[in-house]
Amino acid sequence: MSDILELLVSAASSGCIYGLVALSYLVMIRPTGIINFAVGEWAAVGLFAAFFLLTNRWLPLPYALALIAAVAFTGLIGWGTQRIAVRPLVEKGAPILGPILALLGMLAIFRESISLIFGPDPHNLPAPFGLRQVSLGPFAGTPRDFFIIGCTAAVFVGVWLFFERTVWGKAFEAVALNRKAAALMGINLRRVTVAAFVGGAAIAGFAGVLYSLTAPRDFLMGLPLAVQGFSALVVGGVGRVEGAILGGMILALAEQLTARYADQIGIPSGMSLGVPFLLMIVFLLARPTGLLRPKEAAA
Amino acid sequence: MTRAAPWLAAAAAMIAVAFLLKDFGYYSDQYRKLMLWVALALGFNFLFGIAGQVAFSHFAFYGIGAYAVVILTFKAGLPLGVAVVLGLALCAVLAIAVGIAATRLEGFYLALATMAFAQLFLVVLTEGGAVTGGAGGIANYRLPALELGGRRFTLTGPYYTSLIALVLLATFFVFWRLDRSYFGRACRAIRDNPEAAAAMGVDVARTKIVVFTVTSVLAGAAGMAYAFVDNIVNPPVFGLENVFLLLFMVIIGGSGRHAGAVVGAILLYMLPYVLTPLIGHHQALVFGIVMVAAMLFRPDGLVGVYDRLRARYGRGAA
Amino acid sequence: MSAPPLLSARGLTKRFGGLVAVDGVDFDVFAGEILGLIGPNGAGKTTTFNLIAGAFAPTSGTLDFEGKPIHGLGPHEVAGRGIMRTFQHNMPFAGMSLIDNVLVGCHRRMQSGLAALVMGSRRAAAEEEKARRRAAELIGFVGLGDVADTPVVNLSFGQGRLLEVARGLAGEPRLMLFDEPAAGLTPAEAERLSDIIRGIAKRGIAVLLIEHDMRFLLPLAERVIVLNFGRKIADGTPDAIRRDPAVVEAYLGEASTIGAGEEAARA
Repeated sequence: MSDILELLVSAASSGCIYGLVALSYLVMIRPTGIINFAVGEWAAVGLFAAFFLLTNRWLPLPYALALIAAVAFTGLIGWGTQRIAVRPLVEKGAPILGPILALLGMLAIFRESISLIFGPDPHNLPAPFGLRQVSLGPFAGTPRDFFIIGCTAAVFVGVWLFFERTVWGKAFEAVALNRKAAALMGINLRRVTVAAFVGGAAIAGFAGVLYSLTAPRDFLMGLPLAVQGFSALVVGGVGRVEGAILGGMILALAEQLTARYADQIGIPSGMSLGVPFLLMIVFLLARPTGLLRPKEAAA
Repeated sequence: MTRAAPWLAAAAAMIAVAFLLKDFGYYSDQYRKLMLWVALALGFNFLFGIAGQVAFSHFAFYGIGAYAVVILTFKAGLPLGVAVVLGLALCAVLAIAVGIAATRLEGFYLALATMAFAQLFLVVLTEGGAVTGGAGGIANYRLPALELGGRRFTLTGPYYTSLIALVLLATFFVFWRLDRSYFGRACRAIRDNPEAAAAMGVDVARTKIVVFTVTSVLAGAAGMAYAFVDNIVNPPVFGLENVFLLLFMVIIGGSGRHAGAVVGAILLYMLPYVLTPLIGHHQALVFGIVMVAAMLFRPDGLVGVYDRLRARYGRGAA
Repeated sequence: MSAPPLLSARGLTKRFGGLVAVDGVDFDVFAGEILGLIGPNGAGKTTTFNLIAGAFAPTSGTLDFEGKPIHGLGPHEVAGRGIMRTFQHNMPFAGMSLIDNVLVGCHRRMQSGLAALVMGSRRAAAEEEKARRRAAELIGFVGLGDVADTPVVNLSFGQGRLLEVARGLAGEPRLMLFDEPAAGLTPAEAERLSDIIRGIAKRGIAVLLIEHDMRFLLPLAERVIVLNFGRKIADGTPDAIRRDPAVVEAYLGEASTIGAGEEAARA
């Protein structure tokens, strides 16, 4: 029993990271329709920036400050990314595939830049509260797991409040529903796009920071994480913020259950690597809206 | 037959290069791989540039072809000819299945479904145990001897390179002919406006499935040729990275044009020779920059640049 | 008209949720006639058009073309039976030349298999040659002969509309559907298009138009069907339609439009 509970905690913490990556996609897809595979690279940017800020010889920052600065830096990178690879194409009236492909080019640029600067070795951040086992009620896990879960919950509550309670959030939704009508209503599409990319990048950067707490990561970490995050998004549905975290949790749980129990029914445990793809295929074909439909479609 | 002359000349030239390089093992090996890349780029161009399908499964089918011929020949002990036919049939069946499923998806969701399929294929390869050889793949096999008219001979060295040249030319020929037919026009019509294409009587779903199947099977055929280049098949070759590279080749060269695919493939394959002394193994950085620049400034690629220059400075008055 | 109708609709009905867009409409289209389909906004014209073109299936009722049911067929199957269409908002294949666009219209007459195309069989070559001659002839017919090889992005809006006409005709239709063909055209272009549509009917092809612009439609159509709130309220010659009290009432708010058409017809 405690075995299962432990698995739940560890699945929840990796589910949080997938959920954050899915959320990063979501805040960009909703208003712009652009699927940005460079989110994984942004996560890597966040992680390596945090690593640099913590460990550089000249001005090592305190832990919390370094994380915040790294996330802010990734947001800035997000702004630059959309300025270079998205805005010119959107304003030229190119089909939506244009920016998606240009962002694949950006993906290569980010990855190789990181590998140029930091080399091919894996890096990780020191865990914030050590590695001893702690218990919270019946749940046992490392402080790291609880830290990840707590931070993710905070981010999701913040983004949910943004969408539900602020004028900006309403503007995002209006653009998601109808770009032309939103523009006529005086919503500045350019600003919404900028906000989506800066916010998406900051969330991805934060996901990258948390991701590196669980294991050392190298410059190749981006694409697999981007694929897992997208898979979580497809499972949960692109329509709603809650979908991202739900999808992330389901994905992580399915992965960890396969990894632990597949052997017992004769499937190599490595097949758990295939779980995100299998889930993605099944959901794309059987339920392309994901588990949670957008509200306006449900109404 | 004057129509056949350019094709025969191209075959002769490519085979001549194969024999010129026969004493230069490294260059001969690079020549073989370059030709396979060009064949793949031509197929990917037909799928993406002409038919407008963004599918990330092209290398998976290359891998299915390669693994199928190796497994069927050396693990199942079938004659090579039978293994080739069965392997191509396997590619066709899988492509039709993926294609049918994918026609239910629109736009970029097709890309994601094919990407998931491709990644799943890699996991199966890595976890396939004795059948696929796991992460290490399968190695230490040799192209079996062929029997023709009672004589046994083995295709090696420049002869095998020539075979690859013929595979490339056959691939080019198929796509070239299809592109100039009503089928190619139907593909472009679907790419440009599926609704109008349907109103003109084009069966959009069926055409998409056929294109996906033809390009995937020819990728499988190229994969079979690849299986005997290094005499090893292992998972990393067939991953997502190489599909991105293929996409970059086609876009940088000029998507929708056969010449674009050829130019893009040759350029991006050769570029590392120039770049490695300058920036080490970070050529992907340059590829990414060129890709973004192409999307921003020249979506019709290098072939488009050439067309423009010729129109401006050439005898382009005609 | 004693010949059997080319297309006949019986009890044609289409609901969208609670809304009945087309409600039990009966009508026939005969070979070689120019039939106008009109009605105030929201009358169900476009829905009727889309039902014929196969964009969606009727909720109930039947559509028979040349004696065979076509309701429930998809757009490409409807086209395959010989019903071609134009789009209100020009929908060219933007990456192709004019002639290639028109050649796509020939699609339903192309029979060669892929193997024949790759091997370059004599039959495939003959088929292609025939299609090219036909496309060139139709481009001449609509008066675009001098821009046949031009990429369509370089054509004007009016030329784009003529492209739609030539592309539809390339499929050798028995029935040609026009979705507001005069929308966005200059008066001179609309005049040219009227002549072209008359020429199409002379070839024995039935023409069904939906159109807002009465000045364009009334002089052109030989017969007019009027829809209002999804029901057919009149079916007759343009003159009879103008005098029909039910039509006048339906168009009360738009009476000036009908009047304008009358003036144009007299002029």
